[in-house]
Amino acid sequence: MRASSAKWPGIAGGLGLRIVGKILCVTALLGLSASVANAVPSYARQTGSDCVSCHVGGYGPQLTPYGMNFKLGGYTDTDGKDMKIPLSAMLVANWTRTSKDVAEADKLEYFGTNNNAAVQEVSLFLAGRMTDNIGTFIQSTYSGVEKKWALDQVDMRFARSLKLGDKDATLGLSLNNNPTLTDPFNTLAQWRFPYVSSDFNAGFGPTPLMENLGGSVAGANAYMLFDKNFYAELGLYDTLSTTGLNMINAGDAGKFKGVGTYWRLAYVKDMKRDNFNIGLVGFNAKVQPDRSDLGTANDYRDLGIDAAYQFLGNREHIFTVNASYMKEWQTLNYTYSNLAEADNLKNSLNQFRLAGSYHYNQTWGATAGIFDTRGSTDSLLYGSSLNGRPNTSGYILQGDWTPWGKEDSWGAPFANVRLGVQYTGYNRFMGGSSYIDGDGNERRATDNNTVMLFLWTSI
Amino acid sequence: MKKYSLWSAVFIVSVTLSQQSMAAGDPKKGKDVFAEECGDCHSATPGKNKKGPSLFGAIGRKAGAVPDFSGYSEAMKQSDITWSADKVDSYIAQPRKVVPGGKMKYDGLDDLAARADVIAYLSSLK
Repeated sequence: MRASSAKWPGIAGGLGLRIVGKILCVTALLGLSASVANAVPSYARQTGSDCVSCHVGGYGPQLTPYGMNFKLGGYTDTDGKDMKIPLSAMLVANWTRTSKDVAEADKLEYFGTNNNAAVQEVSLFLAGRMTDNIGTFIQSTYSGVEKKWALDQVDMRFARSLKLGDKDATLGLSLNNNPTLTDPFNTLAQWRFPYVSSDFNAGFGPTPLMENLGGSVAGANAYMLFDKNFYAELGLYDTLSTTGLNMINAGDAGKFKGVGTYWRLAYVKDMKRDNFNIGLVGFNAKVQPDRSDLGTANDYRDLGIDAAYQFLGNREHIFTVNASYMKEWQTLNYTYSNLAEADNLKNSLNQFRLAGSYHYNQTWGATAGIFDTRGSTDSLLYGSSLNGRPNTSGYILQGDWTPWGKEDSWGAPFANVRLGVQYTGYNRFMGGSSYIDGDGNERRATDNNTVMLFLWTSI
Repeated sequence: MKKYSLWSAVFIVSVTLSQQSMAAGDPKKGKDVFAEECGDCHSATPGKNKKGPSLFGAIGRKAGAVPDFSGYSEAMKQSDITWSADKVDSYIAQPRKVVPGGKMKYDGLDDLAARADVIAYLSSLK
């Protein structure tokens, strides 16, 4: 789901698409981010488990420890019965109202400046066990907003359990197309709140490179969960060729110079009644934004820390807290030196996310989250900002109803639906309380406040 | 004779207390324990198998005997266990000790009272 794929009104208009294409396609344009992948009922049919076993609130993607272990086990757990078809489908429809009509230059093609209804996404999944040790999570999506199909998420895994000394270990290998897709926790880009958001939303500001590569790269990751507590992962990524990108309708993040390196360390403790995890994550890559002008690359180094807690109890009252902080160091060798389209050779970006949720009876959910991104002052790079900073912050409130997904639910495990309302409020957008929109006019951050009603269903 | 009687009495009291602690299990609390500890992998509904077999009617059942569940380990099938309350108590306390080579990825439940509660709950499923 293109949850964060909203464009930036100010950027698209202020400095023009040239800069956007050269620079922000790598670090900022959220549209490159592949969709959020979610509840997959074929897994429930495969395991005989209910959605609530793997997912908080009876609907994806927030994983419980059982769901985390299913993922790390390569999506291969089963109830022992054969002839399970590893196919699922998903649809997201929404209606979005923004506090003030967006600028003409910023509205999405095919849609109006406000009050837009859309079948935002229709996805097909090849998701399930292929052999005892191999499983898949592959999502293909038609965007009803962009009016095009794309190969969305790919995670093919080999995993096996063994003993190291007298300790249990799970070892695995993932071939995937998105650096944070492989993560088993609920704190990094692909899997954190908001789990669904409107394409008509203004977005959450610039994000680190790690979060903007979905679909445009291919990676091989090795991982291990040791003694049920210690998780480590190392992945190597390269960008796809232009031909490859065109074949799957993926966005172009430029071409890596060398390979991108992803790593992850975490400690996780499952006490059944509750659980927590804490970890570190990093991603380094050198990106050549223009494939026709190779040689000099922008250098990005991302480093993050994250933590999460879940109280599950008897599943009647579930509380969760997910938090992450990430810092990106940018050395813009190409953008600054070759293009002169940045004020500084070196910039930084700081991103903080926090979300807390409560679910009653795995049916009624309420989630509140805050987002806060801050960065270096660079008037050329952030042309829509009045003070040259990309600072964007605000909050997200969501209420939802998930009537099915339990063991005794109607239509289980085929019928799954979540209905919800989500409100996004902005304190700052691209620097402060105001910025320059696509038409060149000053626009208040609060003008981007958004209400979304959504229907999210899967079979 | 007097000493023998004393030890007999201690033994009898101990056994009685032990049985009472098992018998004192609260099925209502046990349902919550089941949800916390067992419910992801096991159902309490008849015929509903997950990663593990349905635990409806588990008390008194022969190990490895749920007919349409094919996920049993050889160790479990060969264990020749009949799931008495005591045996279930031992098993969920230390699964790998009672059935070495079993598939169940569960470290065990240390809390004696919680075990008694969940056994009481399982016993109530009829």
